[in-house]
Amino acid sequence: MTVATATPTSDVDLYSDESVLAPYDNYRALRGLGPAVWLSRYQVWAMARHAEVYAALHDYETFSSGSGVGLSEELNRVMAGGTIGSDPPDHDRLRRVIGRQLTPKALRQHQDHVQHKAKVLVEELVERGSFDAVPEFAQKFPVSMVPDLLGWPENETGNLLAWASAGFNALGPMNERTMSGFPVLKGLWEFLDQLATSRNLRSDSWGANLVAAVDSGEVEASKLSVLLGDFLVPSLDTTVSALASAIWLFGHNPEQWRKVRADPSLITAAFNEVVRLETPARGFCRLVTKDHELPDGTTLQAGSRLFLLYAAANRDERVFTDPDAFDVTRHNVASHLAFGHGIHGCVGQGLARLEAHALLHELAARVEHIEVGEATWRRHNTIRGLAALPTTLHT
Amino acid sequence: MRITVDRDRCEGHGVCETAAPELFLIDDEGDLVFHFEGREIPEEQRAPATNSVLTCPVAALKLEG
Repeated sequence: MTVATATPTSDVDLYSDESVLAPYDNYRALRGLGPAVWLSRYQVWAMARHAEVYAALHDYETFSSGSGVGLSEELNRVMAGGTIGSDPPDHDRLRRVIGRQLTPKALRQHQDHVQHKAKVLVEELVERGSFDAVPEFAQKFPVSMVPDLLGWPENETGNLLAWASAGFNALGPMNERTMSGFPVLKGLWEFLDQLATSRNLRSDSWGANLVAAVDSGEVEASKLSVLLGDFLVPSLDTTVSALASAIWLFGHNPEQWRKVRADPSLITAAFNEVVRLETPARGFCRLVTKDHELPDGTTLQAGSRLFLLYAAANRDERVFTDPDAFDVTRHNVASHLAFGHGIHGCVGQGLARLEAHALLHELAARVEHIEVGEATWRRHNTIRGLAALPTTLHT
Repeated sequence: MRITVDRDRCEGHGVCETAAPELFLIDDEGDLVFHFEGREIPEEQRAPATNSVLTCPVAALKLEG
């Protein structure tokens, strides 16, 4: 593909260890270069500004998901046809089968259960005092809950986090992180196929409802394993990242924690601010289906791929004042794109909010000060998140 | 100015209610109630109306006119 010389171009490697561990200067530079920037290393366009990412997410005809939303053709070939990797009308049919179980209305029946589990976990952690918030808080909560709601076989939860991590790594380029994840992913796909055949899912669970949708002819039987994967994989690593980042951000911004404690109605906005500032999934790709000209004259050619950087858009100084600051009272925080936006907007965002709000409420009721030690960040292609976070809760 | 609600896309996240509380309500059942179905949005509600359409996380709201 030839690209005109006046085109904003960058040779930044968004996947180097340095860039993954400290991505925000690169994102700022990309925002400064133009509405879309050609990433010469990966031969894709990137959008890093809020307005353009938002507009692209809402123009699903020009910016298609149907051939996959990863960076590599190897992964895209595999993921095309699932909920995330599809366009209307197929997408809308698949989305409905998953989405209707995850609406805030449908989740109401689980609210007491989730709140109770949050209370038990927070009381246990307060009792203990010091712990690593990644495994003991951020991983433990969703892993103890989502597979259960999905009706997952109880003795088959050991690989879930490794599967989820490999799934998100594979969205990146064919680097070592992606390659080392492929055998892990193969295990996931084999397991999902087995599960779709054995239908070993607890009755009255989300998984059992997917089976019922197949039996009623609403979706093809061949989609069952994909739908089970679409339900499970995105529900873990992203939430884990957000929960750990919340602890880290409140640990470093005690005055923000005091505001939340003084007015727990701020918890909704506070969680939005957490995922705005430390966006769990940095972004997804789209395929450009027809030539598309941007305000600066840059043309995105039909057939090229476009990387939509949610994490960069969420710190766009054009939209968010003092964008690198953590502010639980930020007036326009609801404009963040951490869950994506539009028809592919995160189908599990209601569940993520339910989990996070429950935990933050329990913490706010008991914990005066969150003390955090030296954090270790993950080296991951897609997920921005902590690997370890020594934490002490002071009551 | 009118707003149309795509009921198939709406998942009841309630972001519109926060953006435009005079126009939208998530009722006790968790269902979206839109007070101006098929009706013109009043002048003074146009800014929140536009904001509700822009922030709908699943693109269920459309502006017309």
